[in-house]
Amino acid sequence: MNGSMSPSDPERLSRRTFLGLLAGTGVALTAALGGGVNFLRGKWGRRTVRSGGGIQGTVLGANHEWGHRVRSGNLPVPREVVPVEVLIAGGGISGLSAGWKLHNSGFGEFRILELESSAGGNSRWGENAVSRYPWGAHYLPMPTRESRAVRELLQEMEVLESDSHGELRADRRHLCHAPHERLFVHGNWQVGIFPNASWGPEESRQVRRFEEHLERWRTWKDASGRSAFALPRVYSSTDPAVRKLDEISMATYLERHGLDSPRVRWYVDYACRDDYGCSIDTTSAWAGLHYFCAREVQEPDVFTWPEGNGKIVQHLLQRIGDRVETGSLVYRIKPDKEGVSVDSIRVATGEVVRYRAKNVVYSMPIFTAPYIIKGWNRGGLDSFSYAPWMVANLTVDRVPEGAVWDNVLHRSPGLGYVVATHQNLQVHTGPSVLTYYRPFAEMDPGEARHRLLKTSWSIWRDEILEDLSSAHPDLADRVSRIDVMLHGHAMIRPTPGFMWGKVREEIGLPLQGIRFAHSDLSGFSLFEEAQYHGVRVAEEILDSRGHDYESSL
Amino acid sequence: MTDTVSEQSGSEFGSVGQKTLMISVFVIATCGLVYELVAGTVASYLLGDSVTQFSIIIGAYLFSMGIGSYLSRYLERGLVTWFIQIEILVGILGGCSALVLFLAFTQLAGFQIILYSLVGAIGILVGLEIPILLRILKEELPFRDLVSRVLSLDYLGALAASLLFPLWLVPRVGLIRTSLLFGIANLAVAVWAYHLFRGRLIRSAWIGIQAHVVLVGLLVLFAFSPQLTRVVEGLFYQDPVVHVRTTPYQRIVLTRSGQDVRLYLNGHLQFSSQDEYRYHEALVHPALATIEAPRRALVLGGGDGMAVREILRNPQVKEVILVELDPAMAELFRDHDYGATLNAQALRDPRVKIVHADAFVWMDQSRERFDLIVADFPDPSNYSVAKLYTRTFYGRLRDHLAPGGAIAIQSTSPLFARRSFWCIVKTIRSVGLVATPYHAYIPSFGEWGYVVATLKPYRKPERFPKGLRFLTSESVSGLFAFPVDMQPLEVEVNRLNEQRLVEYYSDEWEHVSQ
Repeated sequence: MNGSMSPSDPERLSRRTFLGLLAGTGVALTAALGGGVNFLRGKWGRRTVRSGGGIQGTVLGANHEWGHRVRSGNLPVPREVVPVEVLIAGGGISGLSAGWKLHNSGFGEFRILELESSAGGNSRWGENAVSRYPWGAHYLPMPTRESRAVRELLQEMEVLESDSHGELRADRRHLCHAPHERLFVHGNWQVGIFPNASWGPEESRQVRRFEEHLERWRTWKDASGRSAFALPRVYSSTDPAVRKLDEISMATYLERHGLDSPRVRWYVDYACRDDYGCSIDTTSAWAGLHYFCAREVQEPDVFTWPEGNGKIVQHLLQRIGDRVETGSLVYRIKPDKEGVSVDSIRVATGEVVRYRAKNVVYSMPIFTAPYIIKGWNRGGLDSFSYAPWMVANLTVDRVPEGAVWDNVLHRSPGLGYVVATHQNLQVHTGPSVLTYYRPFAEMDPGEARHRLLKTSWSIWRDEILEDLSSAHPDLADRVSRIDVMLHGHAMIRPTPGFMWGKVREEIGLPLQGIRFAHSDLSGFSLFEEAQYHGVRVAEEILDSRGHDYESSL
Repeated sequence: MTDTVSEQSGSEFGSVGQKTLMISVFVIATCGLVYELVAGTVASYLLGDSVTQFSIIIGAYLFSMGIGSYLSRYLERGLVTWFIQIEILVGILGGCSALVLFLAFTQLAGFQIILYSLVGAIGILVGLEIPILLRILKEELPFRDLVSRVLSLDYLGALAASLLFPLWLVPRVGLIRTSLLFGIANLAVAVWAYHLFRGRLIRSAWIGIQAHVVLVGLLVLFAFSPQLTRVVEGLFYQDPVVHVRTTPYQRIVLTRSGQDVRLYLNGHLQFSSQDEYRYHEALVHPALATIEAPRRALVLGGGDGMAVREILRNPQVKEVILVELDPAMAELFRDHDYGATLNAQALRDPRVKIVHADAFVWMDQSRERFDLIVADFPDPSNYSVAKLYTRTFYGRLRDHLAPGGAIAIQSTSPLFARRSFWCIVKTIRSVGLVATPYHAYIPSFGEWGYVVATLKPYRKPERFPKGLRFLTSESVSGLFAFPVDMQPLEVEVNRLNEQRLVEYYSDEWEHVSQ
């Protein structure tokens, strides 16, 4: 045991060894202190998620079982026939907006059928004892000049008011309150989501160049004075110089312009994931730039409410809710010479009803059309691909320290979380609901949908806590519920070539008595687009019937 | 048993043992200097005059180290055992030093005696460390190398400590946690040495138990250090605490020293009974006395009832509604004689109605109008409170104001937070109210600012109620004049979606506290 105990040879402890010893000790001490502090600060290493055993919750999903039943084609023939002038199939924003425009034009003979138990599509919302919360879209940017129908709607909701000069002013209670966004990067929260901490001169240069690109596109006009990117997109320039952008991905656009800084890339990728559920590599450069350039200011004010765009849904339902039938699946639509037959089943009772309508508004996702519309013969639907999403609402006993409205985690597969009670006016903040968004931009949509189907609630819970606990080590102790909603086909994906492709432009043309209204037709899932198509179709129908109306477009 | 084994042979530790001892020189040197800095910092915090405090503590500490070095000659045998024993003691005393000093200051008389005893004890023990280590290692290395290595490591440790302390430890870790952390480092050295030299220690088992138990004890204290820190801070009021209550909204503390009663909410001073009359008279009367027939008054915040007391001086007032979020405040200042005495029983007056609600939410829902509205909120130090200083909120105040009425708004200090003050003024003006700023000197706060907001141009009052101790109709004009260092600055309006005020305020007060 004492074999190694030879008296040490002073010559062996050379100067280098000595300095090495010094340096080593310094490093060891620093590491030990740092490690110790971190270890203890995390209260005995609770960085790894604990069991989370006390947390309750469920998984809610789009009614995919019924969807799959329609595909199998095994559904009964109704005996009861109900006549109706206009039937709107699908109660998302486009369907509700069609109904809204009909109603506001004094035309009340329509009915909206919605499969889910509540209308609103991606703008649906939920509520518990703590707060209302969104199940999808959670804000609406200040409308552009072209978004006339959005302006009309917001004025009707009394959140936009026109002042004595005819300028529109927002009621600031409904604009996102300060502070807006923060980013968890390198172990700390910073204000704003652009990762700006300690970058070098090259990265700052790239950021500036990227801004210059955006500014150029924002002010770009074609020969007839149209902007490169407008919202609704139909008002955008059709100039080849702009359309050409659709041929490449956003990633390629950045590469071609020498914008290879990881920070700029992360930021743009985040924006693509946030808005489209797509990565920077699968988003068309036209769509990517549209996100940044379609609005007059780079960071416009946004309207938001605890329930997100569910607030708008409530407003629409206040007006036309009596004509919306939820829990009703449209499984067959058959146009003929006199009109259109629409067969539906009430999922709760199994009761089947046939509607005979003069006009049908098809405001369901376009990929469902071949399964439902008899005689559908349009090709190219395989170029319509959809991004799946998971949205979770976490009920917490206290708003996290320093939380702002939108709390983003750098390099996380999720998009972070939004605080539902942010718009509360009271000073004292108590329990809250955090809405966590998870696109699956990093994987193939089919693969992601497969994951959605097979993942259990407890795995979602662990994944969410794991992701957020890097920023909030004590989160598992603060959460009492995690409710998860799965959207298998949440958003149409604005992939390269799709945005200006022929298929997208032609697939929505009227088909006998059926008119199509969905944001799918625009190629990206934005409130403004969904509403535009709903209102457009309503006006087309009013036109065809010779009914008087004032255009909202 | 190993207890009987002596260590007189003392020659060969092997290279591991030698390196261990060298590393411990660095660690203990760092620890020793950190304790000295902790003591100096705590003393400066608590006693003020940092030059004096640091100077005396460094002197006392070095002198004690000298005593320790001298005493080392009396330790003859079992040097390694002694070394471990000293590490354990230094770890306990140094590790707990910040905690003990803070507690001693709040709880005991004779703080200086404890301070210097602690500094002396730690100094003596630290003074023993290096001579003992030198003697332990003297058989291992030629004297020339030994001295050079040990002393250079000692000074290097001192450098590490003196850099870490101000740059990282004080701002990031805090004093209580810093001292515990370095206590743990001392104990780590003790445990490490114990395991390396276990075979040759005197009373080995006993030393081992001591080292491990103390290490665990310090680790436990460290784990609870956030709670400990809170407790210590909670004890930190200048004067004896006479009432403490923790509610879901805040921690309410009343202290008393002679005639001076002070209210603290979450550690922030709200008033001192010695000069609160200045604050509340200045808050209420410039607005109240300008109203011709004030019947209905609304008080937002200010659950202490002092503003209500001032309002009730006017016999024309028939009704006062006090909107206060925390029921515990109303209870303290209405139901406890202690509190009720301070506001002259104002909250027991039948004209007063207390509503427990959040001010903004209540204003948003109410349709009532008032002749006088008093907004007496905490300073806009965070985004939640600053909502009560936004354009939207002032729009609500305007909508609740009866024709001929006036609003009084506490508006932080125009001297210390000049941009914040003028931001509030500008925000009030942005909703079409006439904002008339003024200021008063409150000894316990300093120069303080207010705004009176009216629908029509403001008329300075000619008469004030009887019995005031601060305001007179002759002197009031002076309050409306702003000296050069408090005059308006270019600022932006504070809005719900862009809260400029929070930015101004945090910049300015940070600046002041430096």
